[in-house]
Amino acid sequence: MARVLITGGSSGLGQALVAQCRAQADMSVCVVDIAPPADGASDWITHDMGTRDADRWDALADALTTQGPFDLVVLNAGINATGRYEQVPLAAHLAVARVNLLGPMRLLHILLHKNLLASGGRVVFISSLSVFTGYPGAASYAASKDGLACLARSLRKPLRKAGNVSVQLVCPGPMDTPHATRHAPEGARADRRIDPAKVARMILAQPDRRFLLVPGAGARMAAAFGRTFPQTMTRIMGKVLFRKLT
Amino acid sequence: MKAKLIFVTGGASGLGLELVRAARRNGHRVICTGRRGAQDLPVDFPDIPYLSCDLASEDGANKVADWAIQNSGGQIDCALLNAADGYFRPMTLETPDAIMRVLSVNLDANMILAHRLYPALSGGHLALIGSVAHKGAAGMPVYAASKAALDGFGRALAEEWRGRTYVRVLHPGPTATGMAERAGRRPNAADKLFLAARPMAQAVLDAALATKGRDRQVISYGRVLFNPARWLRKGAA
Repeated sequence: MARVLITGGSSGLGQALVAQCRAQADMSVCVVDIAPPADGASDWITHDMGTRDADRWDALADALTTQGPFDLVVLNAGINATGRYEQVPLAAHLAVARVNLLGPMRLLHILLHKNLLASGGRVVFISSLSVFTGYPGAASYAASKDGLACLARSLRKPLRKAGNVSVQLVCPGPMDTPHATRHAPEGARADRRIDPAKVARMILAQPDRRFLLVPGAGARMAAAFGRTFPQTMTRIMGKVLFRKLT
Repeated sequence: MKAKLIFVTGGASGLGLELVRAARRNGHRVICTGRRGAQDLPVDFPDIPYLSCDLASEDGANKVADWAIQNSGGQIDCALLNAADGYFRPMTLETPDAIMRVLSVNLDANMILAHRLYPALSGGHLALIGSVAHKGAAGMPVYAASKAALDGFGRALAEEWRGRTYVRVLHPGPTATGMAERAGRRPNAADKLFLAARPMAQAVLDAALATKGRDRQVISYGRVLFNPARWLRKGAA
């Protein structure tokens, strides 16, 4: 029985991952989410990934100790704050940085210290296509996702050497989720966004366990262009996204 | 060159101190903050307004922002957000407090300062001092991630503020500032290849004040050893 830990399981990609894991007989899932479970599920730990309260992290560590070790960990929980940087309240920007970057760091620290990563297991970091394109109009989100991607790159070799744990970095473009709908510019077409269930399937399948996964041909093209011409790509993002957001 | 008002964070030691010295040498007016108490500053520290404050808390960052606005008269020509903290150790040896501290100083404080100083930076320059570790570093994953986050933040902000404020993310290469040792890295033979802090600071300052150039730049051997601004400026380092 493979044990799976997913952060942010109540919506979007996390919800799709949880549903697909629960549908498989050989997987048991544990969810960490700020919201209590809608269906009263017992495999759910209510926890705010952005908290700086040491007691709450200790409580999470205790709860995870009874559930692990985990064969698959998906660091998925994330929030966004869009608009002109200086016009979005500072508290919202700081919350984004804490939920999207501080939270995964603290959780990984717990998993490593408590030996909760199973040998041969996998840690998946859900970052963003913004790592390759930049994301004017969501500066704190872009910061957090770049930080998360860097963390994945930094931990790839140490985790492989120490515990035969593989690391994967997933950089999805816009997905058809409530999160993307909330932060997309007005009039943006939802049918161009990738289905989170498809991304969840790709993450769970991953037979070759390649390090970087950019789901969708369009997203892969944008990533390739952004890698080759980073500043031009960010200028394009400014024109096609930021101007519409503000 | 017209004298500018330059605001430096983390100016009490390391690269920040050299940035202060370079700016003063170039004839600019400098105001500076650092974690050290005023009594612990080097004996040759310039006679400039200095605030001792730790940026690890929101209160500290807001206090620095208030002080910078007050001491600049509300107009900052260039903010060099250089203060940083970090430890050279793997994730397994990190502590929860250290993780929070590194992210607070290296990311949160800079986000707070950029937000608060937005009006004062109109027509000016904002330089976020990163690190070449932002590409990833197994030996210091938390520090590297914080600098990558700063890179992504500055990349977005440069586009958002284009035409109003020049935003640059400058990633200095290995520099002999003593920070690596303070962060827990053992000295080794590679230290001999580190760039001297003084020319590095001059190259960083020149890149920060330039009105042309890419939003994100690595300032390393090529830029330091062949800094064109160095030859154009009389009396430069």
